[in-house]
Amino acid sequence: MICVIAFLVFAFLGIFSVKYRQLAKEAFACVFKRMTLRKCDTGFEEKIKAQITGRLLKRSTRLAKIAEKLYEPVAWLFVASFFVSLFFVGRGAYYYLKFGTCNPQSPTSCPFYRSATPLEKVLDIYKCPQDPTK
Amino acid sequence: MFDTKEIRANFPSLNQAINGQPPIYFDNACMSLRPKQVIASMNEYYEKFPACGDRSFHLWGEEVTKRCEKARSDIARFINAKSEEIIFTRNTTEGINLISHSLYGEKESDNLPVVITSDKEHNSNLIPWQLLEKQGKIKRVIVKTNKDGTFNLEEFQQEIAENKSGKPQEKNLVSLAYTSNLDGVTNPVEEIIKISHQNGFLVLLDAAQTAPHQKIDVKKLDCDFLAFSGHKMLGPSGIGVLYGKYELLKALPPFLVGGETIADTTYQTAEFLEPPHKFEAGLQNYAGIIGFGSAINYLNDVGMENILEHELKLNTYFDSQLKSLESKRPLTILGPADPALRGGITSFLVEGVDHHKIALLLNSTTNIMVRSGSFCVHSWFNDKGIKGAVRVSLYLYNTKEEIDILIQTLEKIIKL
Repeated sequence: MICVIAFLVFAFLGIFSVKYRQLAKEAFACVFKRMTLRKCDTGFEEKIKAQITGRLLKRSTRLAKIAEKLYEPVAWLFVASFFVSLFFVGRGAYYYLKFGTCNPQSPTSCPFYRSATPLEKVLDIYKCPQDPTK
Repeated sequence: MFDTKEIRANFPSLNQAINGQPPIYFDNACMSLRPKQVIASMNEYYEKFPACGDRSFHLWGEEVTKRCEKARSDIARFINAKSEEIIFTRNTTEGINLISHSLYGEKESDNLPVVITSDKEHNSNLIPWQLLEKQGKIKRVIVKTNKDGTFNLEEFQQEIAENKSGKPQEKNLVSLAYTSNLDGVTNPVEEIIKISHQNGFLVLLDAAQTAPHQKIDVKKLDCDFLAFSGHKMLGPSGIGVLYGKYELLKALPPFLVGGETIADTTYQTAEFLEPPHKFEAGLQNYAGIIGFGSAINYLNDVGMENILEHELKLNTYFDSQLKSLESKRPLTILGPADPALRGGITSFLVEGVDHHKIALLLNSTTNIMVRSGSFCVHSWFNDKGIKGAVRVSLYLYNTKEEIDILIQTLEKIIKL
């Protein structure tokens, strides 16, 4: 699961720096294999883990040992958190478009709250002008 | 003996910091580092006379020809051969392929020639014969080595006696590693050659792991062909040598043909040159040849006996330190238990720790560069059901202090 985190991180960093783009590509190859239920045999995850463990090993064997045990659970935790956050962001965006607030139960708590919904504002533009003679 | 500190000062790649730490290079069985003398000689070619040799009568052309022929004669003297018996190739692989193509170009209609190899050969000395067997051009026999990796002379004698009824001397071949890149074992080649010749077999030796570390005398050995690479013995990449007895090379058809291989051509015919030029098609790797010559001279200055002594001493020390880690986690050393029989190579597995992981962590922790995997001897690993191993291969510039750092780091890794 480290490849998923690595892909998100390197893809983001790759926007600003070319050196991360190759890493993002390698991470993606690994993610793709995982998503198609195949074992990631590119060696990418092992390389990333070794980079981190290697640095910790220089300071403390105990720390490196703990990190080795925690890679997978922490990676799963991050991936789960990512998708949960994605769900809440998506839901918030939907509520905002529909109700003008990302939290209909407490509208003013949403930092983007406005009195009219964006949808109503869009419809306003297409309303036929009222007949002045009637 | 020599002063390792003085030697190391000649290698620019060792005198740099990577992430604040010096590099520790233990992958010499794959490729060695290059001293500044070799680099300078190649730069001199590119800077001062970057022309082609053996063709033009101008200043630079003559200089290139002179330097290349000097390199050829230096290399010939290095293995006690004649200059005309030294063919420049890209590497050992090309040398072996040259013999496999030239010796077995035509398909025989009766009594297939026999090629004998061992079960512990590099892919470069396995696949050419596999292909020829699939093409129906040879019969292939594999001699199993002993459990400790040493050569099984008895089984070899048996196999050769059973198979000598094939084609006469000029076609039957024994093709073996002189020294194994897997476990560093040097085969008893003098005995092997004697038995082979007595039974009508030619002998081709893969000396890629021997020539950089031990003195070779092809006349004393009486081998028929011998191949080795420049890049494993302080020379440049892309250059190697195939030695062959002159009468045999003369009788062999060329492998690659074109310019440089001929004296004259018409639209229908080609008059080939004598060896070695018959086998050196196209413009050559002149910088590589000159660099290789420079590497040979460097090795001669240091002394091959000194290099072997240094490696054996270091490997014995490494072996004892490695074995002391067994109390922390079981480990297996491939090949004979006696490090003196493994030259400068030690390949090992650590129980419960992936070999690639060990290599990656050694690299990321303390810049230690080792090889992990099957070392291009996949066939042996597959036969034994072993996924792979870690290989530490030493050379003249490695030190006891580097071994100490390797052991300390390894200890931390196996405790994870």
